[in-house]
Order: sequence, then structure tokens, then C-alpha cells
Amino acid sequence: MLSIPGRAVRNCDGVSRRELMRIGSIGLMGLGLPEFLAQKASAANESAAAKKYAGARGFGQAKSVIMIFLQGGPSHIDIWDPKPDAASNIRGEFKPIPTKIKGTHISEHMPMMAQALDKATLIRSMSYTPNGLFNHTAAIYQMLTGYPPDKVSPSGQLEPPNGADFPNIGSHISKMKPMTEPVLPFVELPRPLQESGIIGKGGAAGFLGKAYDPYRMYQDPVRPIQLDDLSLRKDVPADRLKDRFALLKGINQSMPDLEKALDSYAIDEYYGKAYDLVLSGKARDAFDLTKEKDTMRERYGMHTFGQSTLMARRLIEAGTKFVQVNWPSVANGDPETTAWDTHAANFGPLKNLHCPKLDRSLSALLEDMDQRGMLKETMVVAIGEFGRSPKIGVSTSGNSNAPDGRDHWPYCYSAVVAGAGIARGVQYGESDATASSPKEKPVHPNDLLATIYYALGVDPDMEIRNHLNQPRELVKGKIVADLFG
Amino acid sequence: MKYLAVSSVLVAGLLAAEPRVTYLKDVAPILNKAGCTSGPCHGAAKGKNGFKLSLRGYDPQFDYEALLYDLSGRRFNRAEPGKSLMLAKPTQEIPHGGGLRFETSTTYYKTIFNWIAQGVPFGDPAKDKVATLAVEPTDIAMAKPGEKLALKVTATYPDGTTREVTREATIESNTPDVARVDAANATVAGERMGEATLLLRYEGKYATIPVAVLNPKPGFVWKPLAQHNYIDQLIDAKLQKMKVQPSGLVDDAAFLRRVSLDLTGQLPAPEEVRAFLVDVTPNKLKRSKMIDKLMAKPAFVDQWTMKWSDLLQSSRKFLGEKGTYGFREWIRESLAANKPYDAWVRELITSSGSSYESPEANYYRTTRDAKATMEKTTQVFMGTRMVCAQCHDHPFEKWTQNQYFEMSAFFSGVGVRPGYEVGEEIIYNQRADFEMKHPKDGRVMAPKYLVASAGAPPLPAYDFDARKRREAFANWLTSRENPMFAKSAANRVWSYFLGRGIIDPVDDIRASNPPVNAALLDALTKDFVAHNFDLRYLMRTIVNSRAYQASITTNEWNATDVTNFSHAMPRRLGAESLMDAVAQATGARPNFPEVPDDTAATQLPDPHVGKEGFLDLFGRPTRETACECERRTELSLPQALNLVNGATISDAVADPKGRVAKLVLSGRPDAAVVEELYLASLSRLPSKAEAESGLAYLAGGPRAGRAQDLLWALLNSKAFLYSW
Repeated sequence: MLSIPGRAVRNCDGVSRRELMRIGSIGLMGLGLPEFLAQKASAANESAAAKKYAGARGFGQAKSVIMIFLQGGPSHIDIWDPKPDAASNIRGEFKPIPTKIKGTHISEHMPMMAQALDKATLIRSMSYTPNGLFNHTAAIYQMLTGYPPDKVSPSGQLEPPNGADFPNIGSHISKMKPMTEPVLPFVELPRPLQESGIIGKGGAAGFLGKAYDPYRMYQDPVRPIQLDDLSLRKDVPADRLKDRFALLKGINQSMPDLEKALDSYAIDEYYGKAYDLVLSGKARDAFDLTKEKDTMRERYGMHTFGQSTLMARRLIEAGTKFVQVNWPSVANGDPETTAWDTHAANFGPLKNLHCPKLDRSLSALLEDMDQRGMLKETMVVAIGEFGRSPKIGVSTSGNSNAPDGRDHWPYCYSAVVAGAGIARGVQYGESDATASSPKEKPVHPNDLLATIYYALGVDPDMEIRNHLNQPRELVKGKIVADLFG
Repeated sequence: MKYLAVSSVLVAGLLAAEPRVTYLKDVAPILNKAGCTSGPCHGAAKGKNGFKLSLRGYDPQFDYEALLYDLSGRRFNRAEPGKSLMLAKPTQEIPHGGGLRFETSTTYYKTIFNWIAQGVPFGDPAKDKVATLAVEPTDIAMAKPGEKLALKVTATYPDGTTREVTREATIESNTPDVARVDAANATVAGERMGEATLLLRYEGKYATIPVAVLNPKPGFVWKPLAQHNYIDQLIDAKLQKMKVQPSGLVDDAAFLRRVSLDLTGQLPAPEEVRAFLVDVTPNKLKRSKMIDKLMAKPAFVDQWTMKWSDLLQSSRKFLGEKGTYGFREWIRESLAANKPYDAWVRELITSSGSSYESPEANYYRTTRDAKATMEKTTQVFMGTRMVCAQCHDHPFEKWTQNQYFEMSAFFSGVGVRPGYEVGEEIIYNQRADFEMKHPKDGRVMAPKYLVASAGAPPLPAYDFDARKRREAFANWLTSRENPMFAKSAANRVWSYFLGRGIIDPVDDIRASNPPVNAALLDALTKDFVAHNFDLRYLMRTIVNSRAYQASITTNEWNATDVTNFSHAMPRRLGAESLMDAVAQATGARPNFPEVPDDTAATQLPDPHVGKEGFLDLFGRPTRETACECERRTELSLPQALNLVNGATISDAVADPKGRVAKLVLSGRPDAAVVEELYLASLSRLPSKAEAESGLAYLAGGPRAGRAQDLLWALLNSKAFLYSW
């Protein structure tokens, strides 16, 4: 049985539903039936959303999103939300510096961001209370899908990704906004989300099906990238590929009954897209950082994270709708080398390794995009799965902590959002005297997701169906309209 | 005193003017109709704004208590009914997050008002709970789209009284494009030709109405085709009624390809195609003999071992490596010996012992919790999804939450403990403390069969032991009289060959998902049981039918039919078959880790082998659940990208030891090369035009490269990727 979500409407050409249902008719506008229906369904949803939020502040200004996901849980109090007047076992070793946001200070080790914050909103009241222990995987899943995990072991570990998972926000966007040009709709780089042995939970399309998984570019962009499936094979240069396609077309066309029976599956559409992707090279070029000047590359920082953010900008320019840049470290990796997960050695690594990277790359991204006018239609979000405990050296997640470490802390942490109408140069929400909990305007991670959907012109209250065809809300969160200027 | 008595008589007299109103009979339906108990509102898992009702009102006692006793009884006001929250909120006299549900002028308001004034009586379940629901009409056939019909729903109560409840009933169509329901007026309109089912619900009772909107085009003349067996008779009976003309038989080459893939998961070899095409035996007999030949091949056993291993979740994630191989071998041996289906299901359910020595006992290692075991057992062997009923009564089926736990109680005594060898586990029956308890109040749930099955063994006294529980369950499940066991199996096997179940999805059988052809399903089921649950017999019967052997070519009368088996539908090859087909066509088989060289993809032990590669991209089941839906056959951008430019096809066509290389080195003429490439990939000879264009292409460049291109194009064509 075929059931189309949303109210069926006549399309602009006045074609009736009856005609659409005639399987075997040549697809309208050259599209096959599922594509057309998917576009119609998303168009219907879009127009329903547009009606609901007509004229609302911040609705529908974004065409794309860069999600900078700082897996590991960066310490908010040492980076974004210093409390110099708190007790010594809370305030830590770093001093605050003023920023372009009036009355707001951040860590001395983020000087470039202090300048770049005039383009963004700093949220200081991110907050949620997880069910049970909250190690990284569960928190990451909550953050990126909007749903708490289904099966959690006593230590907070989850099952590996499977076909019943809720989809990552990028997968939803991938489905709701079908691409019209030869680029990849959703890209994840430069490495997967990971905690210990669980890789990619919360980063895949789950019950939407593999068609909406991100394109995974798991290579270090500091070095030249090799993309076999997007690059022409050595033994099959462009001309030979063209010949092959012409031959393929002829073979398909010599079986008109089969063509007719498969017309609604839009296979030619997908083959066309694959062909365009390989031949046009637009997608491949977006990944090619040698096309950028060295000065630009250095501005972003010649390390994995910096080059990844630069690549994200290029992908957005090429037309990708959702780019997820994962902090290039296993979430619970070694803090002294790559990870934000500073259960020990909180201060040294932050000062010498992680903060300088984040500072340079994120500020470069914001400035660069602003200069190019890209912040008008692209939303940039930088967030981790939680913050870190205000009290140094105590255990809050069942993990052990060194006397100079901070444990996981979801009750209050920070995020940076910019673009697509987000207010520039302001702080949103406030934490209490020790950055332990929001004093005002708490923002649940679901609220942030709802706001991102809203900015993309999608109604976060809309109903979706999972693999068992059960109705679910896209995300159970409230739109934070006050984030928009 | 007398004064008080007189005035209370007066008041009673006034009240007596209003009809007697109870919660059960009058108020609960209003709460359901007005949406108070719906999923997005107070029926949500945590309710809304501190007020929780049962989902769609399945538990009136609970709802009644919530209304009366929560918040110190502030929800209603006996002295001034109009001031009750129950009335003020839905009419928006007080701010209500759910908006306006009904106006103060409506009968809904008056009914609730009277109920409160009458002292909020609950009602008597023996008198006020609906006994049966009747709908009019019971069957709808519209001669053409555009017709409209009014519906009527009548409830009958245990005392025989009836009430028309059309307005309060929930009426939905499962295919609004065909039959659209106007809930406000309780009418149904035919939108386009096709079939739909209307689902009507009122106070825990269900009814369905089949709707057929016929083709308005004049001039339909039924042209009878040969019927191979009763399957065709029953399909034709429906088609004729629906004015749908079935398609004729598919040609020999396409038939051979289709049936080889369906029975053995493999393409026919070029020599086999040639032999079949020149064989002059009369068609029906020729095909029937080929079917027998295919079912005798080892690949037949491999294919079905793989499919059952999918459903039984044979994976090292649950069973460890040795356990996986053991379980798979047990499945294979059972299928190779053609053990009757009911026999091996019974063995699985009653299995105990070492996971190494009694490998069927691994059934209890893929799910270790009684509830999960019950869910997968009912999904695989009864085609029913019980999972929703764990937390609330099933919204679209008559299963209750109590039944969920009563069924789970059959498995609550299964124990698993470590064995003596590394990785070994022992499945045993626990002796004490294994009762299934209801989560709400901890009461012990005795095991009880989901549906009555004539001749089912009576259940002994409820504290019967764990082993006896599983035996009783197995006997009830596999009994010939169980209305769901044989039926769901026949339906599932049917779907493997026709691409779609008679009930679809095959593991979601419920009242609101009726079969498209009940007579056909019943006959198949009966035949299956009569032949001792012989799976091979069932398959043989299905593939010998004309319906299975129909062409994909449609005519003006069946072009829009996708559910009634009037023509074949193209189906994408499954991941394993696709990989094997590429290997066979190109003569280059990739080697998988941990298995011998030349192992086919259909022979792999579990999804761990070749993880994250081609097979997973093309939708190989992960065996994480027992759902048929794990296998995916979409063909969208990521798959197209892999086929067009990925290593799998491109490397295989260019393999120096592969078919193209051999052909080029053999020195045979171009025409022979084209012919063999077509036979190896599309399993048929090229047409004259195709041969000519193939020849022209080969002549247009260096022979080896051009031959590789030709094979590449053939492997990317729809005729290769799909079975038709």
C-alpha cells in the first residue's frame, strides 16, 4: 500500500493524483515516481511548514549547515564560560579575556575566537539531564539524533549503529531536501564518531536506510585526498566512461517493457547523478584542498581539524547541504594528545594543544565565511556532547578522575552558533556562579536541533515514520526563536 | 429531615429528566473522539502537563481514576459541574495546551456535564462495555472513482441494546489515495481505482471494510488464460471480479533466470540457458522439470540456509564463531533433509543443552530475555509484531498488554549459563523463581496462548515447570489448527517468489492489514498443512503456477495493479545474489576472509564476513533483529556510485583470468563474444539489433577494452540488476 505523508496536493502543472499513479507513464519532468513523490512530499511538508511559521523570525533562512562536533566533551568553564571569582578548585588555571561580545569573557587561550565572536551567538546555558550514566556514545546519540538511546549498558555503552536507530540530523536533511546538482548532500569528515569500540553511533541514517547515510570522508585532509569512487579510474578515463554510459543507455533502451516497469524507481536518475558526480568532478574538487592558497590553508591551521573545517567550507560552496566535522579524536581518547576528554591533565593539553587548534580553525571559518557572505545562508554550530564538571578532580560519571581532571557534565555547557539569521555578537543564556547549571534560558540539545530544522525551513514538530512504520516526532524540542537577531 | 428528603426527591426528579450517563458508555468515547487520549496528547507515555490517560483509552479504569483522584479531585467539580477542569480545559475557558476540543454548545459538553452532575458514575462493565461492533456496508465496491458512500457504525451492548456511534468512531483508510475518508461526515469517497481497507475503531472494538474502486473504462472482456493449478484459479477469480486482465507467460530465458535466482540465488550458466532454449519438450512440462532440477542443486540448500539464518539471527555477535557455524549447520542439515517445517520449529523452541552439542539451542542465545524471545518467535513464526503491546494495548490489533506478558511467560523459565568449553553455553530450564511479572504491579502472569487453537493441549495448573511451558507453546504453535503458524509461513514463502506477500508486510499480520486474497491464502495454507508442512512442496506449487511465471509486460487492464499478482514485477537481486551474479558473469570471484576460496556470497556464515563492503551497501541483513525488513533492495545514489565507479564490477570485468580475458584470448569471432557475454550476464541471447550494436561497439576500439566495456554495461543494466 502506498501512503503519502502530508496532504496530497495538485502540483503546479495541475496534474492529478490519478495520473501520477499510472505506473509505466513516463515520469513527469523527467523524474521517476518515487523521486517526484519524495519531492512532492517534501514540497508539501515545506509549504505546510512555511504556512505555519510564515513571517516568523529566523525561519527558513538557512540552506546548509556545518556541524562542528567536538566529540569528547570540551570543558566549558576553561574555554567559553570562565568563572574567575569561583573557588580555586573550580575556576582552574586559566584567566578570562574580553571578547567582542559586550560584557562577555572567554578563556585567555581563545584569543582569536574572542575577536570572531562578533559574528556569532555564544550559548552558555546548554543543559540536559541524561537517564542514568552518560558516557560519550549515549550523549553523542542524544545530541545528534534528538533521542535518548534505546539500550544502554550500566556503564553507558551502547550497541553499535543499526537499522533501528534514529537518524542523524544530517540524514533527515538529506532526505527532506533532495539535491538538484551533482554534489553529495551530506558529508562526514575526517573520522567517525567513536567511543572505545563503538563507532559511528548517532552518525548514520538508521531507520531511514543507507541511501541517507553520510558520504564518509575518513582521511586526513592535511595530506592529499584520494577518493576512488568519486575519481575516474586510471583505466577508465572520461571518454571511456562516456562510451560505457552510451552503451549502457542503448542496452537499457532495447528492453522497453522492463524500462516501463521500472520507470517509477528512478534508477536512471541515480545513475545520472553518479555519472555526474564522477564526471563533473565538482564533488571531487570540493575535497581538493590544493586548490586553496597556502595562506588560506595556514589561516585555518595546518592540522587535521583546521583543514577539515576548510574542507567543510568548500563543500558548502559546492552545494552540500550538511557537513559534519567531527573533532579528529576518539571521544574518550588520550587527552594528552588529541582528546577533549580531560579526566586527567585538563589544563596543559587544553592550553598547548586543543584550544589553539579550535581557536584558530573556528575563528578562521567564521571570518572566512562572513567575508564571502556565506553566513547569510549557512548555519555554523560548534558543540560537544557535554561540558566538564566545574569541580576539579571529582567523579560525576562513574569514571575516575585525576586531581587535575574534570569529569563529564551535561547539566551546563556552551555552544557557538552563527549564520542564517542568528544574532551576531551576543550571549544567550547564563550559567550560575560556578557554571554548574543554567541560571536562565536553558537550552536542551533537542531545542538546538529543533532550531536548526526551523532555520532550514523544516517544521520540527512534523511526524516521521520509523522502520516499523510507527509515527515519531522529528525532534521533541522547542524552537529557540530568541537566538535569531 | 422531611424537608431534606423532599428537596432531594425534587433534585432527583430534576436529574431524572436527563438520561443516565456513565463513564464507560458515554464519557470515555468522547475523550477518545476529542483526541484527549491520543498519542500526541494525554495518551503519550508521560501524558501532558501532568495529566496522563491510557493511549486511545484502552484502560478505562485507569483513566477514570486519573480523572477523579489525581490532583485531589480538582479535575471535576460536583457542586458546579461547569467549573470542572474537565469541561473548562477542552472548551478553552481556561488556557489549554491542546486547544479547543469542543464547544460548550455541543452534546459532548452536555454529556460530560450531566455525568459530573450525576455523581461521576463509572458504569457497569457488564452493561456498558461494547460487546460487538457492526458496520454498514460490510463490503464496498464502487463501479468507478468519484463515488461516495455514507458509513454507519452501530455498537451492541451486553444487554442487547444498540446505539449508533458513527460520529464517535475513528474511521481511517489504509490507502487514502484509493479510498478517502471524510471523518467529519463519516463518508468514504473513491479517489482512483484500486483497493483499500477501512479501519473502524470504537471503544476497543475493531471492524474492517474492504473497498474496491473498479476501473470505469468500458469494454472489459475477460480473456481466460490457462490455469496451472488452484493458485491461478483463485487469483483469476478475484481478477475477473476486479476487471483486471492477467498477463501471459514470460519467455523461456527470462523464466529460467528468474526461477534460478529465486530457488538457488544463482544465475543459470550459459550452457544451461542454451540447453533450455533448444529443448522442445512442451513448455509446462519443460519448466516443471527445470524446477525439480534446480531444487536438487546444492545451491538450493545454500540459498534457503542463508534466508533462514537471516531470520534466526545466526551471527557471531550473539553466538560466537563456533556457535554460529554450528547453528548454521543445523539449519542446513534440516533443510537438506527437507525436515517438515513444524518439526524443526518444534525442535528449536524446545531445545536445551550445550550450544556446541545441541546447536539448535543457540535459538536461546540470540535473545536472552523472555520478552525478546517471545517477540522474535511471534514475528518469525506467526508473522505478528507484539512489540508495541509491551507498553500499551496494541493500537491496531486486539492484543493487550496482558497478553504480551502472558505469552512471554512461556519463555521466562529459559536459563543460560556458561558451559565448560571456551565460548560454550548451556541452555537449561530453571527450577524456581522464573515467573513473569507484570511491570505495573508485579503480579505473576501465567502463560496463556495468544489465540485459541482447536485441539491445543490444555494448559496445566499455572505453576507448571519451565520445560513443560516450552513444550506446550511448541505444540500450540506448530499445531495444524493454529490459525497463524502455517498461514504466516505460506504467506512468507509466497512473498519470496512473487515479491510481495498476500498479506504485506509478511511479519505484520493484524486485523487492520488483511490479505488481498483471503481465499488464495487459505488454500495455500491448507495445502501446506495437508502436505505435512513440506516447504519444498509449497515452493514447487508456487513456482509451477502461471501467476509466478507471468511476464512483467502489462496490458491496459492490469497496468496499475501491484497487489493482485496479475503480472510479475521486477525485483532487484539481493546483495548476496548480486555479488555471486557478478562473479559468475565475469568469471572472477573475490575471496572472502576466513572462508575457503571460491565460496559464494550466499554461503557466507554471517554478516561479519565482508563487513562494511559491497554486501552491506546492497542491503544484506545484519541479523540484529528477526525482521524481514532488514533486507533492503533499494537502488539509489550510493549503490549507483559503487556500480558505476567502484572496484567490484570494474575490477572483475578487467580480471586477467576472467571471462572477458578468456574470450579475447580464445580467438573466437566477435559475434560469439557478444553472444556469450549476453548469456553470461542477462541469461539470454542478444536480439538481432542488440547483436549488431554489440558488434559495432567491439569493432570501434581495442578488442579487449571494448569487450570489457560491453560486459561493464551489461552488468550495470537494469536487466542484470533486476530479476524480471
